[in-house]
Amino acid sequence: MSPSDRDGVGKGEVSLVSLTKRFGDFLAVNAIDLQIPPGGFFSLLGPSGCGKTTTLRMIGGFEQPTSGQVLLDGRDMAGTPPSKRPVNTVFQSYALFPHLRVFDNVAFGLRRQGVTRAEVGRRVGEALELVQLTSLARRKPAQLSGGQQQRVALARALVVQPSVLLLDEPLGALDAKLRRELQVELKQLQTEVGITFAYVTHDQEEALTMSDRIAVLNRGRVEQAASPRDLYEEPANAFVADFLGVSNLMEASAVGPSGKGVELRLADGFSVEAQRGKLATRGPTKVVIRPERIRVEPAGSGGPNRVPGMVTNVVYLGSGLQLSIHLAIGRTVTAFVANIDEDTASTWAPGTPVTCHLPSTSLRVLGNEELSEPPPTARPPSVPEPIANGT
Amino acid sequence: MKATGRFGTLSLNLYFWAFVAFLFAPLVVLVIFSMNNNMTPTLPLSGFTTKWFHQAFSNGELTGAVARSAGIALTTAVFATALGIMASIGLMALRGRALSFAIAALLLPLVVPYISLAVGLLILLQALGTGPSLGAVVLGHAVITLPFAILVLLPRLRSLDPAMSEAAMDLGATAVGAFRLITLPLIVPALVSSGIICFVTSFDEFAIASFLAPSGKPTYPIFLYASARTPALLPDVIAIGAIVIAASLLLVAVAEGGRRWAERKLVGSGAAIENAVAEPTISLAGTQ
Repeated sequence: MSPSDRDGVGKGEVSLVSLTKRFGDFLAVNAIDLQIPPGGFFSLLGPSGCGKTTTLRMIGGFEQPTSGQVLLDGRDMAGTPPSKRPVNTVFQSYALFPHLRVFDNVAFGLRRQGVTRAEVGRRVGEALELVQLTSLARRKPAQLSGGQQQRVALARALVVQPSVLLLDEPLGALDAKLRRELQVELKQLQTEVGITFAYVTHDQEEALTMSDRIAVLNRGRVEQAASPRDLYEEPANAFVADFLGVSNLMEASAVGPSGKGVELRLADGFSVEAQRGKLATRGPTKVVIRPERIRVEPAGSGGPNRVPGMVTNVVYLGSGLQLSIHLAIGRTVTAFVANIDEDTASTWAPGTPVTCHLPSTSLRVLGNEELSEPPPTARPPSVPEPIANGT
Repeated sequence: MKATGRFGTLSLNLYFWAFVAFLFAPLVVLVIFSMNNNMTPTLPLSGFTTKWFHQAFSNGELTGAVARSAGIALTTAVFATALGIMASIGLMALRGRALSFAIAALLLPLVVPYISLAVGLLILLQALGTGPSLGAVVLGHAVITLPFAILVLLPRLRSLDPAMSEAAMDLGATAVGAFRLITLPLIVPALVSSGIICFVTSFDEFAIASFLAPSGKPTYPIFLYASARTPALLPDVIAIGAIVIAASLLLVAVAEGGRRWAERKLVGSGAAIENAVAEPTISLAGTQ
């Protein structure tokens, strides 16, 4: 199942064109436009109820769109049942067939295609080897651990060589340690087989770990689709900034240019310079900084972009401390301090007055939130024209 | 709950055995008198004999009635269970008020007296131009056993992860194929339970059969009812009764054993992890 075996099979590019799904009064997916590039690891990330699973189910063919299109390698999938789509799914519950042995679970798809006995044996063997389950081929699913069941589900979907593999929170039922192991394995597997993975998760860390590209969904809409680095470093709006890790959102007023950026007036007469984000913004805006970018200094340290405050709460994380700091501007922010020596914890005990350095290169201006959403007519320029009955 | 103290334990034991006696005494009495060497079932016992069994088996009318009832019960069991599967699948697609209404309608025969149903069926058959027949008995029994089939099958179907059918279709199976290859094997234990309940219900049903069975072709309960008034036939009836009891026990034991075997086969032996197949809500052998 190396990429070279897949000549003649579609590349596995998925395009969603104003895809909409309505359940009664509930708009689960609201005119989503999205490009899932071929051969990559793409994540749909968002809180529960954001429409990510519904979107995945429309790609798989388990839900019919209310309007809009799902294009696979340029071909409109409308009216094509799940059994006829070159797309396979790893379900959240795995949905293994409990009465069939591991071997027969994996062989199920091949047998439906009428593949010869010898070929079934060979390909199932390969697939089980890929997920390291060869020795368990004769077991029933209930005799496997959660992680092993997950691999069977993976092998069962991969063995039929789909163009796109859909994964619906496949690690959701596993404990944290196993999750992290399997995250790495899944990413390696994806690189190895070269199939497009479309992965649904609500876990931002999981998405950041594995994905080449992530679409952040919220209330049926795509908030931002970008690489993990860009999402984390350059969130388009407060929702994305907040959903990907802890972010410190502050109200500010942009008053004019300053150095390489824009001068922001915070509450209580404090002024800072910001060099990231929408620097042309003037007037009320939101400004955001990641906790690990705040430099916590002893009280009274001087310099620009500094705001005094007091430690109100400390969470000991082992490798570091998570501090809650109440700033003089009336806002409590979260900051991380590395646990550099044995005195770190006592240095930053609750009640300690501190000065927070908010480096201008780490302060991001989000602009006016109401204007940050693109107007409904704007479409990504990359959506291809649908090709009717293309081959 | 645990009984405390000597008195508590004693009275609980007493209650338990009294309860068992209440349930099984009639059956035990029947079996004992089936082997008693006396025309009338009265005490004291007058000696062991198997002649009533010989006599019963040479009574063609009696064995004919038993065979007839067994045939009707078997046909009913298969027919009602098949209808039950279809009805349950239909019910799975319903929600809310439609579901409540459909379930109420399907379970209605449970609360309608069989005798009214029987009269209604007879009138309906005559209106359609056919009279009583064994086929009509099967239809009547299918009506009254369908609720039992649904009550056994629906919980089992609901316990299956709907993603399993989706996975089968995702892997290239048609909807029918997904049912045949995945759903059907997984509901086999419930099919067995349903079949047995329908069989037993049909086998000893009297009211509907008495209206719908053609004259000269009595079912076993009809024959029993008629012959219980004929003293000369009583020993035969008792002997056959004893055999039916033994056969019923055997049937239930075999079926329950088979059900457990199928259950184990479905999920593999020594299954330590929770699996997609829950225990069926109704098990013939009661609690496990």
